[in-house]
Amino acid sequence: MYKHILIPTDGSEPSQQAVKHGLSLAKALDAKVTAMTATLSYDASTLWEAAISKTPEGYERRVKERAAKIISQVSAAAEIAGMEVDTAVVRTDHPWQAIVDMAAARNCDLIVMASHGWKGVAAVFLGSETQKVLAHSKVPVLVHRMESSWL
Amino acid sequence: MIWPDDCEEPVANHLSSLGGDLAERHPMYEHILIATDGSEPSEAAAKSGLQLAKSLNADVLVVYISRPYKAAITLGGVDVMPSGDAYDKICEDNAVGILGAVEQEAADLGVPCRTKHVVDDHEWKAIIEAAEGEKCDLIHMGSHGRSGITALILGSQTQKVLTHSKIPVLVCR
Repeated sequence: MYKHILIPTDGSEPSQQAVKHGLSLAKALDAKVTAMTATLSYDASTLWEAAISKTPEGYERRVKERAAKIISQVSAAAEIAGMEVDTAVVRTDHPWQAIVDMAAARNCDLIVMASHGWKGVAAVFLGSETQKVLAHSKVPVLVHRMESSWL
Repeated sequence: MIWPDDCEEPVANHLSSLGGDLAERHPMYEHILIATDGSEPSEAAAKSGLQLAKSLNADVLVVYISRPYKAAITLGGVDVMPSGDAYDKICEDNAVGILGAVEQEAADLGVPCRTKHVVDDHEWKAIIEAAEGEKCDLIHMGSHGRSGITALILGSQTQKVLTHSKIPVLVCR
């Protein structure tokens, strides 16, 4: 079955839950995992980091640190589980495009991602990046919804 | 407004306990709902769903949905929409044929399989209700069904399942 699963994350709670789900599935299927996160340019970003950074340089430093933190969490979890994980940090203004391209470039045969990322406060609809990945992906996409008491 | 300098968007740490969970056991899908409407893309999706079930030792529930009978329609003396009984018979025959084909493939693969024919106006709702009612832990469906003409846009029923399902949904292209 699936041999190489791509798990994109933006570090948000729903996303990290989806990572957990994806790693479990990979473990059960004995599949390889590539975990990725994207950093947006200063102009495109609506992250906290952009709001609080006084200079673009400060912003760059912050998002780099943030991406490293996200990826290191995934690697740490995978390592404890005895799984092999490749990681990637991609610079893009369009995360969905980076995800679809990454799946193609690394021959991933499944994408596991959250229904919403950090923009997903309105939980009823599908997140916009997820929506676009679903529309453009050539490989199957497993959409995971965050377990939450207030939804 | 002045933000404190060390303030940043938090990275959720849900993964700290995960490694241990994974090292011990890996509870994965046990009951997979496979939605099909008999179209070519959805048949291909069903095949892929059966493969996944096989590799996870899961069983499957294959669901086919028919729309309920509305009214007999005659155009220019031709029955466009047959009578209620005839309509139900057609739906039932379609369901038996489509579900039977998937059931046969499941049997060939050695995947335990049940089938369900639901009559409902809203396919997406019927799929989610069946999945919740039968305690399925994954919904497996195609990106497009019968009415799928454009390659880039997601089918409307798939879209709605994705919007409303609390159970993970695997969308097959």
